[in-house]
Parts: sequence; C-alpha cells; structure tokens
Amino acid sequence: MLKKSRLLAALLMLCLVFPLVAQGQVESAPAKEIELRWASIWVGNDSKAPAVEALVAEYNAKNAGKIKVVIEPQPDYNAYEQKVRTSLAAGQAPADIFTIKFNPTTATFYQSNLLMDFAKVMDASWKQTFDAGSLEQSTVDGMLKSLPMETAILPIWYNMDAFKKTGITELPTTLDGMFAAFDKLKAAGITPTSQMTGDTNAWTSMIWFSHFAVSLGGTNVWEKSFTDPAFVEAAKLTKRMITEYSTSDAVGLGAGGSGGHFLAGRTAVFSNGPWYAGRADLAATPFFNSIKIAGLPAAGSTKDFMISRLQANICAASSKDKAREAAIVDFLKFLTSAPSISKIAETSGAMFAIKTDYRPTKALQKQFYDVAVAAKTTAFDLEAALGAEVTLEFAQQLGALALGRISAEEFCALVDRKIER
Amino acid sequence: MKHTYTPAQIIANFLKWILLLSLLAVALLPLLWLLISSLRTNLELQTNPFGWPKDMQWVNYAKALAMASLPRLLLNSAVVAASSVILNSAVTAMASFILARERFRGRDVLYTLFTAGVLVPVISFMVPYFSLITKSGLYNTLLALVLVYTAVNIPVSIFLVTAFMKSIPKELEEASVIDGCGFFKRFSVIILPLSRSGLVTAATFCFIYSWNEFLMAMLLTSSIESRTIQLGIKFFTSQFITDYASMYAAVVITIIPSIVGYVFLHDKIIGGLTAGAVKG
Amino acid sequence: MQAVGTHRSRVWTARVLFLLPVSVLFFFFFIYPFLFTIYTSFTSWRGIGSMKFNGLANYTKLLGDPTFRKALGNNVVWALSQGFIQVPLACLIAMILVRKPRFWRSLRTIYYLPNVISTVALAMVWVAIYNVEGPLNAILGALFGAEKRNWLGNPDTALFAVIFQTVIYIGYFMIILLASAMNIPRSLYEAAEIDGASTFQQELSITLPMLRGSLITTMTLAMAYGMRHFESTFLMTGGGPAYATTTMGIDLYLKMDALRYSEASTAGVFLIIMGTVVITVLRKIFGSSDPMSEMAQ
Repeated sequence: MLKKSRLLAALLMLCLVFPLVAQGQVESAPAKEIELRWASIWVGNDSKAPAVEALVAEYNAKNAGKIKVVIEPQPDYNAYEQKVRTSLAAGQAPADIFTIKFNPTTATFYQSNLLMDFAKVMDASWKQTFDAGSLEQSTVDGMLKSLPMETAILPIWYNMDAFKKTGITELPTTLDGMFAAFDKLKAAGITPTSQMTGDTNAWTSMIWFSHFAVSLGGTNVWEKSFTDPAFVEAAKLTKRMITEYSTSDAVGLGAGGSGGHFLAGRTAVFSNGPWYAGRADLAATPFFNSIKIAGLPAAGSTKDFMISRLQANICAASSKDKAREAAIVDFLKFLTSAPSISKIAETSGAMFAIKTDYRPTKALQKQFYDVAVAAKTTAFDLEAALGAEVTLEFAQQLGALALGRISAEEFCALVDRKIER
Repeated sequence: MKHTYTPAQIIANFLKWILLLSLLAVALLPLLWLLISSLRTNLELQTNPFGWPKDMQWVNYAKALAMASLPRLLLNSAVVAASSVILNSAVTAMASFILARERFRGRDVLYTLFTAGVLVPVISFMVPYFSLITKSGLYNTLLALVLVYTAVNIPVSIFLVTAFMKSIPKELEEASVIDGCGFFKRFSVIILPLSRSGLVTAATFCFIYSWNEFLMAMLLTSSIESRTIQLGIKFFTSQFITDYASMYAAVVITIIPSIVGYVFLHDKIIGGLTAGAVKG
Repeated sequence: MQAVGTHRSRVWTARVLFLLPVSVLFFFFFIYPFLFTIYTSFTSWRGIGSMKFNGLANYTKLLGDPTFRKALGNNVVWALSQGFIQVPLACLIAMILVRKPRFWRSLRTIYYLPNVISTVALAMVWVAIYNVEGPLNAILGALFGAEKRNWLGNPDTALFAVIFQTVIYIGYFMIILLASAMNIPRSLYEAAEIDGASTFQQELSITLPMLRGSLITTMTLAMAYGMRHFESTFLMTGGGPAYATTTMGIDLYLKMDALRYSEASTAGVFLIIMGTVVITVLRKIFGSSDPMSEMAQ
C-alpha cells in the first residue's frame, strides 16, 4: 500500500511538473528581430497550404535577422472562428495576422481598436494591387480593418453528361426552358438539383435563392426590405426547386449530403464555390470533364451577373510599436503582391481580390475564372450581404417553407424580422 | 449451485439476452462503421455511407500516421489526460470526503453549489476562460489544459464520488474511530479504499473527456509543443474540404489509447474489487 | 476542555485544507465565469469594446423569443427522456451485468465504447441511418411495409430521432450504476435466498433500494446533460428544420456565432437557473438532498 502510494505520488509530481517544463518555448530571438505570429487557416490539407508555407519561408529568408513570420496552424474553420471572436472579446488580438470571412456580422470587429486600420497605412501603389470593388466592400465608415484577399464566385454547376442523356446539349437560357429541361431529367430518372435546408446556412439552396433574388430585385436587392416582392418570388422559386426538382431528403440535408448526391451522379445540378473544384473525390467522378460552370437563367430583369463573396480578409493586430506595424505592413505587401498571389492561385485554384496575370490551365478552374470575367456585375450572396443571424433564420424557415407550413410571404416576413436596420 | 429452470426463468433469460445482444449491436456497429469507413475512399463515403470498400485504402492510415508531429501530439495528450485525471481524482476525493462524511453547517450549500456545475454549458464560459489563462501567463501551455480539464470535471466527479462515499455504512467508520483512527486515517484507510469504484468511474469520465476534448485545446494553445492529438485529427478538416477517410483512420488510431486507458482504469482497477459483489 | 478545543480546531483546519483545492479551482473556473456571464447578461455587449448596461432588455427579449421558448420545451423533453428512459434502461442493464452473466466483462467494456468515439463520426453515421434512402427506412419497410420517412427533415420526427440516437451512450450511466451495484454486500442476497426470495424479488427488495442513491445521482446527471445538450444535435441537424430540434445550448452557441454575446450570456444564465429548478424539483420528489440521510438505511 505504502509503495503504491509513493509511486502514485511520484507519478503525480511528474505529471504536474512536465506541463510546466513543456510549455511552448518562448523564442529567445535576437533583440532586433520582430516575430509576427500568423494564425493561419491555410494549413494541413488546405490547398493553399504548400504555397503559403513556401512564401513565408521565402519571406523569412529574405528578412533574416529583421522579421520572422511564424505560422500558428488553425485546423477546423468553425473552431478557428470561435477562437477569433473569443480572443477579441477577451480584449486580445488572436495573433498579429489572422483572417476573417467578411460579412455584416464580422464587420462588427471593425469597432475594435485591437485591429489595425489599413486605410491609414495604405499607399497608392499598394492600393493599386487590389480589386477596387472588394476594397470598397471591405471599408466600413472609412475604416479598412481587413484587407480583401480571397474571393469566391458562387455559380451553378451542371453535369452535362446527365443532360445529354435526355438529349439536351445546350444549357437552357430561360427559366421556363430550365424547368422544361428539369422535367426531362426527372422523366429520365435523374433528380435535377441538389437542394438542402440543413446546417446553419442552407448552403446550396442559399446560393440558388441569391441568384433568383438578385435577378428579380437587382444587384442592390439586399438593401431592400426582405418583404420585397423580389424576395417573395425568389422564395417561391426556391421552394419549387426543393419540392419538385430535388432529392426527397433535401429538407434538413447538410452540405455534405447535398454534395454527395452530386458526386454520386444522383443529381445533375449543384452549386458551390471554386474550392470544390479542387477536390480529389470530384476528380474521381466519371463526369468530371463534363461539368459546366455557369449562372442561372435570369428569373427577372437583371442578367449577366454573378454571385460572389469575400471569402477571406486579412486582419492585423494594432500595435503601439511603429516598427512592429511597419513589419506587418511589409509582410502583407509581400503576401498580397501579384507574384505571391499567383503562386497561391496556381496550386489552389482559388480566386483573389488581388489583380494578377495568372490564368488557370485546369479546365474546371479555368471555367471559374472565365465566368467571373464574363460577368458584367457581381452581387453578394445572402450570407455575405446580411450576416449570420439572417442566414440562420433563412435556413431554418426554408425548411418550414418547403414543407408547406408557412407561405412565401410569411417566410419573408420571418427573415425580415432578423435584419438590423 | 445447480439450477433447475422454470419456464418463466427461461423466458426471462431469453429476453435478457435479446436485450444484451441488441445493445451490443448498437454499441459495436458505430465502431465497425468507423473501421470500415477508414478503409474507403472519400468518394465512396460521400456517395454511399454504408458500402464496403472496393479496394482497401490503407493509404488513409499512411496519411494519418504521416500526420505532422504525431508522436508529440500523442505524448501531449497522454500527459494532459493523465495529469488531469490524477489532479482531479486527488482534489475531488478530498473534497467529497468532507462533503459526504463530515457534518457541519453550510455543507449542503457547498455540495449543491459544486454539483450545480454539471449544468454549466462550458462553451458559454469561453471568454472568461481565455482571459483567465492568458492573464495568468498560461496561454499555450499544457498546464492550461490540465487546469481547465481538471476544473471542468470537478462537478461530475464530486457528484459521483460523494454519492459513493455516502453509501459506505456508518458503522465501519465508527468502528475505526473507536480503534483510534484520526481524520487522515479515516480518509485514507477506511473511506478511500471503499469508494474506489466510484473514484475510478469518475476518473474514467475525466480521462475520456480530457483525451477527446478539442475546443478548449484549440482555444488555449497555438503551437505544436502544447497541442493535443484532437487538434492533429482536425488537420484533415480545412475550411472547405474534409478528408473524412483519413480523418477516420486518425480517429481509429487515437481511439486505441483511449480504449486501453479505459480498460486499464476501469477493468483492471475495479476488476480486483468484486469481493462484495453478487454472485451469478 | 482545552484538549477538545484544539481537537476541534484541528478538525476544522483539516476540513478547510481538504476543501481548499476544489474550492479554488471551482472559484476560478465556475464562480468567476458565472459572475462574468451574469454581468454581461445585463449589457448590450457584442464581444467588442465596452459594455453598455441595458437592464433587463436581454431577459425580456429572450423570454419573448419563440425560438428560445421552443428550445426550452425541447430541452425539457430531452431532460425527461434522458432521466426517465435512458437511466432506467441503464439500470436494467447494470442489474443484469452485476449478476455476471457470460461475457459480462467484455459487455461492460463494449457498452461504454461509443462514449469514446468522436461525436463528429457518430453524427455522420446517424445522419446516414436516418436518411430517406437509409437503412432505417429499409428495415422498417421490409418488416412492416412502412413508407419512407425523412426522419431528420420532418419537424414532427426530428426531435424524436435526435433523442433516440443517445441510446448508444447508455454505457455512461450503466457503468456508474454497475460500480455502485457491485458494492452491495453479498450477504444481503444470501440472506434473501435463504428466505426463498426469487431473483426478481431480490432485485426489487434489495438491489433497487440499495441503488437509490446512485439512481438519483445518475438521473440528475442525465437530466442536467439533457438540459445543456448541444453537440450531437448541432452536428446532425443544426437545430432544424424550422428550429424543431434546437436546444438552449444550440441557441446559445448560435448567438455567440452572431456576436450576440450578452444575449448568449442571458441564455446561459437562464439555462443554469432552469436546470437548477428541474434538478431541485427532482430531488424533492425522489429524495432528500441531505447526503447523510441516505446513510441511515
């Protein structure tokens, strides 16, 4: 008994001492070197990871002894977002450099003086490198507390192999034509679309709804009341898509399930951003080379637009130390330079708010670039335009709408209540 | 003893085994699914969750094992889990002893307060926890995780251990007092050994929690030196793409130590403690 | 008298020393955060900048919020089903296993295994099981010719479906009850056997009364978990469709997601208070909260 308890005591001591010793080591860097911590989501199996890591290594080598950028890897995006908001709420920047998904919810962060205002440090030549529209979208009350970096368009994906089975080789150009094509698909035993109301944003259906709403109400539709006829009509169209032209499990389905139907060839039409194009499982499908990326036939008078969003904006911690702020700006200028962005785009196929000469060579990613270039205007999707709370209500009530428990008018009124004005 | 079975007993026996076996199926099928899924491709998983792998994808395990700093992450997890279990068991055993076996004013209030902690959704305490850890300079240390895991498990442990200590017949303790046992002896010689199965049950829960916890580990650490295996698993989940097949392979790999930990804690320690049990 | 005095103060010193570590940890990790939560619940804080006091506004908003009321109702269903279905079932299993049927050790270990597996993986399994084209509909169709249902997509069945999946976690409560059942003195059963009591009678007259304390403990735990339930439902349904499966925990999480920190705090305070009420009522019904009273048996 005594021996045992001694052993236990020793074990206890060991376990208590080890964590103390094994702390994340504090770098005893040379006095002058500024260390910048970057809480990066582009790590692990993210397609941007290799290029980003190479760029950081390149930068560190170039600035050896002066500036050192350290990547703090952030797996699991949802947990990362929680870490960012928890840290800011506790009165600290999560790192010297970090990214946010820009929308009205995260724009709240602009009220924090923990974040550096790039408007004050941005010279004309740096400003030149960015897409002007994205910069403007990222500016709130004259403050630019996040730099637009990764953008995305959210088009519609068509599996042309499925369409060919019904004799259709060209995409329909009108809404009626589209419904006719969908009816043919149904008759051929193929479910036309992958809709979903699950998760917290009803992702794919939210994209469809955004296409409908912008076409019906114009690119400034999100500034209107949600009870506007454009939204009511868009809701009716989305409901029709879910109830008549989607899989029987669409209500309550999550993004994984929705994508799974498309990958399995069970559905012919899908919607998602450019990141989906780089998936290994997509490349393994027999119809990979027959996917066509495009918009939807216009539901209203607005045509030739594309739905887009700011996928990742870069934030930096404000600092009283001028040298530190200068170091951050220096690194971000390097990161957002056209050569750097080209390298990241090359390996990932992602799209950026920074102008480069890079054009993808892979077929599917090239289509994304072509569609983005061809679009006359862009408009945000619902989540990017109205934020987390509105999107949640949208997703929850979309299920009720699809099941016929509420009317399109009631649906819009419910969502409208969540919009802050 | 030899039994002669009545028809009622046979039916009861039959029903008993139906129940035990169906529960066995319910408990084993998810594990089996996980094993099978970890050997399939992502496309197979996405398109048909219940299929059999066309070709065994051992590459998933290769990817999981190639995870950066896997040994370090496993070691950190082991240290954090073991430290939390030991610390939690030690402090809650002491407190439960007072709460269960001593009479004093305010005891019930204290007991209710501690145990009301089981109601707390820890997620709502993230901001204060983060402030607490960063302000005390413990951010990005294993000690931060040890403290949080120990503390978060206090209510459950107190709840279980106190209940066990309460159920020890008073006579045993009274006899020891007559024998001249003091306060510490009553605790270490009488109460502690007799409530061992309760302590071990609480320790098991603390171990499983500490081994599987992810959110706090993500919140309170930033570098590999102080991160746990659960964060490693999540590296298969990036913003848009989750490599489920490899993630499941990693999950299988990390479940093994937790099963071993569970069996060790529960079966081996409690195993010797069946003297008072009913015979079959 | 002098000696008694020193003895008493020594006992008190020992008591305080024994309670100190838990009290310190509890203060920093429960009391302080709870006070912080209460404080922010009276402000309009969005996680950024200073906190502006706004009185009871968050509380009136919360109580008037149909989503939160729906969540509260769902949590009550959760708590009751966990306490009054899950625990009795776990108790039944523990009572069977304590008699050491064949393979009881392995069964005890295996029953606990699902508690070890990642919730993410399990949620994915259940979503697939409940799918319209999934195995559950296939089995029900084959056995009873039942028509296919979208179990998680129908607000009428979704709550039932997400609660039913917790059956795999039964091992959690089972091992508590089993550990306690194994502590029941064997002599009690031997005496009963001599009196000619059948197994069934022994269970009723010995096991159940002796397990009373542990049953109250497990029921309280189960109901507390039911009140604060969050993770697996969130992974399976996100609280939908039409908030059918939303819980207070999910609501709280999504409020934080939308940076409504003070409203999330209000939900947190309310959740803890509601839970305390439920558990206190339970204790009043099933037994005294005085730990010493059970020793009298």
